[in-house]
Amino acid sequence: MDSLVNQLKMNFPGRTYQIERLFSLFGYKNEPFVSSVFIYGPSSTGKSAVVGSLLDGLEIRNACVNLVECYSSKVLFESILNQLSGHKIDPFKGHPYAKCDNVMDFIFNLRKCADEVDLNKSVIVLDKAERLRNMDYNLLPAFLKLKELSGLSVSVIFISEIIFEKYYFKARTLEPIKIHFSQYTREELWEILRLDFDHVQNFIRNNFNENFDINEEFFSNYLNLFLSVFYRVCRDLSELRHMSKLNFVKYCEPVFKKECKLEDSMGLWRHIAPILKASLEVLYLRISPVSQEGKQQSVEIKCDGARTVKQFTFSKESLAQFLELPFYAKYLLIAAYLASYNPPKEDKRLFMKYHGKKTKRMKDVKAKNIVSEQLNTQLGPKPFGFERLVAIFYAILEEKVDFNSNLLVQISTLVELQLLSMVSDNCDLDSRKYKCCVSFEFIQIISKTVDFNITKYLVDFN
Amino acid sequence: MVGYKNYENTRLHIKNKIVNVDQYNGHTHERKQLLDILKRTTDSGESNSALLIGPPGVGKTTLVNSILKELQEDKKFNSSAVLVRLHGLIHTDDRLALKAITSRMNLDNAINGKVFGSFAENLSFLLACLQTGQRETSKSVLFILEEFDLFCSHHNQTLLYNLFDVSQSAQTPICVIGITHRLDVIELFEKRVKSRFSHRQIFLFSTHGDDIAIPSINQRIDRISNFLLLTNNNDFSSTYFAQWNKNIKQLMKDKKFICSMQRLLDISENEEITKNIMMLAVSKLNVEKPKISADDIEDELNIFEKDDLVQTVQDLSVLELCLLIAMKHHSEIYDLQPFNFEMILTRYNKFINANSNVQNVQRSVVLKAFEHIQNVELIAPTGTVMSRLQKEYQLFKLLITSQQITEAIKTMNGLPTEVIQWAGSSLA
Ligand SMILES: Nc1ncnc2c1ncn2[C@@H]1O[C@H](COP(=O)(O)OP(=O)(O)O)[C@@H](O)[C@H]1O
Ligand SMILES: Nc1ncnc2c1ncn2[C@@H]1O[C@H](COP(=O)(O)OP(=O)(O)O)[C@@H](O)[C@H]1O
Ligand SMILES: [Mg+2]
Ligand SMILES: [Mg+2]
Repeated sequence: MDSLVNQLKMNFPGRTYQIERLFSLFGYKNEPFVSSVFIYGPSSTGKSAVVGSLLDGLEIRNACVNLVECYSSKVLFESILNQLSGHKIDPFKGHPYAKCDNVMDFIFNLRKCADEVDLNKSVIVLDKAERLRNMDYNLLPAFLKLKELSGLSVSVIFISEIIFEKYYFKARTLEPIKIHFSQYTREELWEILRLDFDHVQNFIRNNFNENFDINEEFFSNYLNLFLSVFYRVCRDLSELRHMSKLNFVKYCEPVFKKECKLEDSMGLWRHIAPILKASLEVLYLRISPVSQEGKQQSVEIKCDGARTVKQFTFSKESLAQFLELPFYAKYLLIAAYLASYNPPKEDKRLFMKYHGKKTKRMKDVKAKNIVSEQLNTQLGPKPFGFERLVAIFYAILEEKVDFNSNLLVQISTLVELQLLSMVSDNCDLDSRKYKCCVSFEFIQIISKTVDFNITKYLVDFN
Repeated sequence: MVGYKNYENTRLHIKNKIVNVDQYNGHTHERKQLLDILKRTTDSGESNSALLIGPPGVGKTTLVNSILKELQEDKKFNSSAVLVRLHGLIHTDDRLALKAITSRMNLDNAINGKVFGSFAENLSFLLACLQTGQRETSKSVLFILEEFDLFCSHHNQTLLYNLFDVSQSAQTPICVIGITHRLDVIELFEKRVKSRFSHRQIFLFSTHGDDIAIPSINQRIDRISNFLLLTNNNDFSSTYFAQWNKNIKQLMKDKKFICSMQRLLDISENEEITKNIMMLAVSKLNVEKPKISADDIEDELNIFEKDDLVQTVQDLSVLELCLLIAMKHHSEIYDLQPFNFEMILTRYNKFINANSNVQNVQRSVVLKAFEHIQNVELIAPTGTVMSRLQKEYQLFKLLITSQQITEAIKTMNGLPTEVIQWAGSSLA
């Protein structure tokens, strides 16, 4: 038995406390289990993995359900029963062990199941339990009290990234035993990432037909450098693991190219430091959890590392440089930005060529001091009417053009491109309201292409 | 080897006692009151209704279970009464409740295929089935409704209306006991339901037990020592048995231990928490750790009392923490006014610019960090989330106090000094 604990501790560095605690509650065959345990902590801190391997290692009958996969409580109930009863779903008929529409059916069938197989000391694991909050109100309290409700000694383990305090319906629930899976410290992360050594070594061997062998110390040193750049921004193991693998290949590059010796840690650092910093900027940008994308990316990395980085920094700001807008559309967009970020009462002062000089009064100075922190550009775009847009458009445009249907079409194009958004759904042109949806950086780039100094016309900068 | 068996048996013995409580101790007055009400229905055929009210975990269910057990020990009970237990979390509407009542009364066959005009008709048919004419052979029905307040939200309170209505008329003798933690449950009744309820309420609080002279802390410690004392010496060597029990008796008098128990009682009347803490303390027993000490209990209590929100903050990355500090400063300066990403970013950038040694990261990465803070629910959008609004401008409010953030930073390891200083500065 203790060998299981030791094995788990070795597989999951930094989880000693959690493993021991769980083992002390579930590790002894004859002892009754507690009715519910609530496990919480940030993502990829080993919650699912530790619980899963412990239950399997102890050969405890269990049903693990990830609530992300349950679009209705019916699916949840039936999946639990299928797993506990060992029911094999016939792929042609697809009948579940039993149909359950509600908690009453579930408990009835759970008892029925208990007559057929020994459910004594079995465990139900509800992963991503925070989802329960958006399901039927009675699910969370019912699962917390399942033992009392069913009269069976079935325990429930909740796994959640949200603390228990944030669950509603606490009043009628009993407090479960809570186990916190804390985020890993830098040392722990280093230790865990080092477990990837074999994997990384194979990867290197398979991808570079070089007679080239890295040792563990070389990899550990790299991880130290890697964490010195990344740890401050990110503590998520899965993300770090992904990034560390990608960058390790680049770290080794100078060695393959014979530009650097394996032992030349200074030279390797000089080479990798800018690369690490660049890739820090694409952290989390492989947002999609679909493994497809992960694969694709690593393929690209193999052929040309530098380019991939560029590709992924492709953001809305750089979009501005590539976007080919007609000349007037650019001015319309600029006018929209100005309308969104200037209060209307300032229009006169900003855009009229011969407005009376504004005399600074004490009141203004004071007011300015107070709000100095709260700039209009920080508060987001304000809606503006069609007329104001046209007025500003003419004010900033040096030449005279007729306002024709062509310009109207350009406005709708801007809306289609989601550079503008329509605030009211009104079809009436005069009462339509718009907002400008581009960032300051974006509009700056657009302004430059038409030689327009936007800061001159923004209240925030005057 | 013997020591090994002893500690394993101790764990098993105590855990069994903690998990399978069926005896109720204390509250003898309330217990007798409830028992009498039920007996009047089963023995003399009087109908009645009552509510048992008390905070969660005070022992309502345990009390009712122990009473029912006592009733069922009487051989006559099964021939003279039917027990129907309903639970607000299971029987979430009256249709389900009626289905459960039917099957509990073994009347599934009798009702087969019958169509009833109304709920009342259906219920009275069920109750009539139990009547065989003579008073001696007809059965009384005991209804126990757990999480009673939830039944009040059923459509038109039909079930409650009908049950209370029957309990007021001279038809079948029934007794309706509602169990709830809501003190204001009567306010939830519709008028017609309220007027049919007997207004008998039994309150259960751990703070006023039967005997005011015995403080509730002593009663609770009594219950704990019942858990921890070994009672069956067949499973243990006699010296071990004596030593263990002596040790527990000492523990029960230990100042530190009593202090912890008082602390726990002050936090909550929920006895389940105490049981969890005992369970965890017992679970820690092993060959190297053969005894339970007052320190163990205190450790568990400290873990229990830890502020989860503070822990959530400590699990953040330095970048995320910096954003949280910026939010804290914003809230302090603007008197808890909401903020958006742009404002926080500006404040954060000021900090970065003042500290040349800190590497800046791209806006998109900062935005991700901001979103992470939202995902762990340290902040929440204010008002309606407008899909048309760009997320950078969506206003948020903090769901954590400045003190909690300060507290988290104080006990966090390995934070860069400039961050600690920035967090501490009052005007950033
Ligand atoms: N301490 C650890 N040591 C080794 N691998 C770990 C550790 N913690 C997590 N992992 C691995 O990281 C991945 C994510 O862990 P998982 O259990 O899914 O996290 P969670 O459920 O907390 O989000 C899994 O592949 C798991 O094996
Ligand atoms: N007076 C008591 N005697 C024995 N056990 C008690 C007592 N009061 C509370 N408990 C214990 O506290 C726990 C919670 O009690 P429970 O009856 O479920 O509370 P409630 O139904 O009021 O929410 C139970 O496990 C029970 O063993
Ligand atoms: Mg998980
Ligand atoms: Mg209860």
